[in-house]
Amino acid sequence: MTKVIEFKDFSFRYKKQNEFTLHDINLTINEGEKVLILGPSGSGKTTLGSCINGLIPFSYNGEIKGSCKVCGIETQEASIFKISEHVGTVQQDTDAQFVGLSVGEDIAFSLENDMVPRNEMLEKVKESATIVGMENFLQSVPYNISGGQKQKVALAGILHNDVDILLFDEPLAALDPAMGMAAVDLIDKVYKEKKKTVLIIEHRLEDVLYRHVDRVILMSEGRIVLDTTPNELLKSDLLKKNGIREPLYISALKNAGVKFDKDDNIDNIDELNIDKYKKNIIADFKKKKKTVNLSKEEKIIEIKDVTFKYGDFTALKNISFDICKGEKISVVGKNGAGKSTLAKLLCGIIRPSEGEILYNGENYLKFSIKELGRIVGYVMQNPNQMLVKDMIKDEIELALKLNGFDEKVTEERFVETMKMTGLYSMRNWPVAVLSYGQKKRVTIAAILALQPSVIILDEPTAGQDYNHYTEIMKFITDLNENFNITILFVTHDMHLAIEYTDRAIVFADGEMIGDDVVYKILSNEEIIERANLKKTSLVTIAKKAGIEPEEFIEHFIEREKEERNNG
Amino acid sequence: MDDKLFITLVPGNTFLDRLTGKTKTRLFFLFIFMLVATWDIRVIIPCFVVSVIGLLSIKPDKKKNIAITIFVLLMNVFNLFLVWFIEPDYGLKMCGGSTVLFQFTDYFIVTSESLWYFGARLFKFMASFFFSLTFIQCITPSELAAGLHSIFVPYKICMVVSLAFRYIPDITRDFTNIKISMQTRGMELDSKKTKVGTRLKQYVLILIPLIITSFDRVGNIANGMDLRGFGKKKDKTYYAEHEDTKADKYLAIVVWILLACFIALVVKKTFFPGPYEVWCPWCL
Repeated sequence: MTKVIEFKDFSFRYKKQNEFTLHDINLTINEGEKVLILGPSGSGKTTLGSCINGLIPFSYNGEIKGSCKVCGIETQEASIFKISEHVGTVQQDTDAQFVGLSVGEDIAFSLENDMVPRNEMLEKVKESATIVGMENFLQSVPYNISGGQKQKVALAGILHNDVDILLFDEPLAALDPAMGMAAVDLIDKVYKEKKKTVLIIEHRLEDVLYRHVDRVILMSEGRIVLDTTPNELLKSDLLKKNGIREPLYISALKNAGVKFDKDDNIDNIDELNIDKYKKNIIADFKKKKKTVNLSKEEKIIEIKDVTFKYGDFTALKNISFDICKGEKISVVGKNGAGKSTLAKLLCGIIRPSEGEILYNGENYLKFSIKELGRIVGYVMQNPNQMLVKDMIKDEIELALKLNGFDEKVTEERFVETMKMTGLYSMRNWPVAVLSYGQKKRVTIAAILALQPSVIILDEPTAGQDYNHYTEIMKFITDLNENFNITILFVTHDMHLAIEYTDRAIVFADGEMIGDDVVYKILSNEEIIERANLKKTSLVTIAKKAGIEPEEFIEHFIEREKEERNNG
Repeated sequence: MDDKLFITLVPGNTFLDRLTGKTKTRLFFLFIFMLVATWDIRVIIPCFVVSVIGLLSIKPDKKKNIAITIFVLLMNVFNLFLVWFIEPDYGLKMCGGSTVLFQFTDYFIVTSESLWYFGARLFKFMASFFFSLTFIQCITPSELAAGLHSIFVPYKICMVVSLAFRYIPDITRDFTNIKISMQTRGMELDSKKTKVGTRLKQYVLILIPLIITSFDRVGNIANGMDLRGFGKKKDKTYYAEHEDTKADKYLAIVVWILLACFIALVVKKTFFPGPYEVWCPWCL
């Protein structure tokens, strides 16, 4: 076996940082392996990737100790161009790496830089576009294709170079569940057909394990914690400790008190030998509590037969539902299904073409956007797009001042909001020193200052690992429970929907195709397919064990909630 | 993509559209240079005719083009009026004659030389305008990059041009999103309710996060380009630049002829300048 990547006592420190980001890495990857590099944010997994593809030290300067060889080349001594002949990288940000103005042009980018004549280029582009299934889109412009398609283009763009190693940096971050599955599938297909070495950097373990990987390298705080097979990893208790979410079916099995034996194969749910665990699962399921239905009565928003059109295009068709005080609702569906149109409608940025929306029984057309802002708050996905002031205090007070509150009320509301959001001790901090998660909190606080009764959160957990995710979601749940604020999550994160919301509203192609309790929605296969969602592994395992999936999911959720509440 | 802009992203199917970026760019720049270099109506009128034929041949969107043409025409006429207002006998300076047609006062006179000059000037500007309009509507940004490269602009600069076109719509989208979030927080951007000064200040507030997020993106774009070997070699080939068609080969001859004309014009102007800037048939 040839070693394609070899780290020896390797450490790295970014020039601008005092601490080393990677410590004493010793790692060998052989030709033809498919390896998952797993770790929470800040564990150094992306930095490790940058060492392999040559961005370190080419684009990011710093101090290097030890050695890192890629295909026999010592990366410190070679240029990034030399390394990119061996390593092809698909980056996380699908938009930023799409530099061409058409699909074909973007796929051809590295060929252009290699000065390949155009007639050869055409053939090669066609060939690699066919591998990823984009051959009919060569003329398409980047604005008309989805994130998943952009990622395929990025992959096609490195395939024709005949590189030895394919490196995927968080390939699932920007995709909805169904696209994520397709991406994992495609990576596997390319791996098998092209016989390349494949490295996947991710923290979404369950989604990656949808297709077999040979090895998982678990990283934490810049060190390799574990280097083993997926099977061993799943049996260990290192995942939760290191801020990685276990696959749901594994958690369900562990909840049921299952103990895994040495030779149990558990990394592929379809090949799981369920008979062995059935007894435990059923015994545990019998402990299920009776469902308590919390009925919420006080309607605050009523949406009645609302249709919205952009020109000739109908973005929402005859939507009707009510939102009651204190609810936690997830709004799910694929991109372009109408989720963000709904959010804009509720904020009053756009108004219904037909139908009406009532706020506390009053037609909302009579409120201006500004007035609506005090009833419905909208939190954007990227906090950097929301924060405009240097100081937290100014940021929070901005909305109050814009709404014409006097100084005394502004000060009172500021203090109150800071206490509500647990930011009181940071109230005089500048925004620049905050972490991503803290910034997110500040944006929520900035919205809360106006004391809206409903908050819409757009993908609140996007791009965050399990620890940060749990932290943010606990924060939001507390707001909901302690202050009875209604929360709408616009999301395609299934975990979020399952664990933190009571009700799910599902959109597909501008229509509302489901509005029900979350576990009912998630066990309805028709809805899942139409909305580009993913069947959770809980459904699969429930079916295997012969239990009604709906109730099994409900039981699981109750179990997890209890556990969370107990610490 | 915002269809208020004139940028074409997908190549069209007319004669001009099908040419290479190289031919389009070279023709465009030569015509523009010629127009800049001369005041001679014997050069301007043929150029004007070519520009109109060019524009019509690409079957442009009528509404958009007519609207902008009327706007530009009015601005030009207004501009000429101002020139006349300040210096009614401008024709004397430019053509070397002063044949009075009417006289409003002693100062405000209309001379046929001034009218001749104004006519030349109007045709000159409108021809350049039509060439530009034709050019931006029949070239994709990628072809433009290739075309610029063919007239010896370094390829890194050409890349900057095409990247700018690539990311303008993305930045517009970010801007809209930030604006929406600020509006829901109570920022009043309605022109009827807010003074211009306040509105300007508020737009500056929106720009801050826009700039910060755009900088983040620039870093990612640069990494993506490095990883795919941008800057590896001294030169670059272009996927968007197809092989020369027959028309391109014939037009290459036209390009040489135009270049010769342009040089002739410059030579004449530099070494054999006439007494007056504008040629006028009756002022010889």
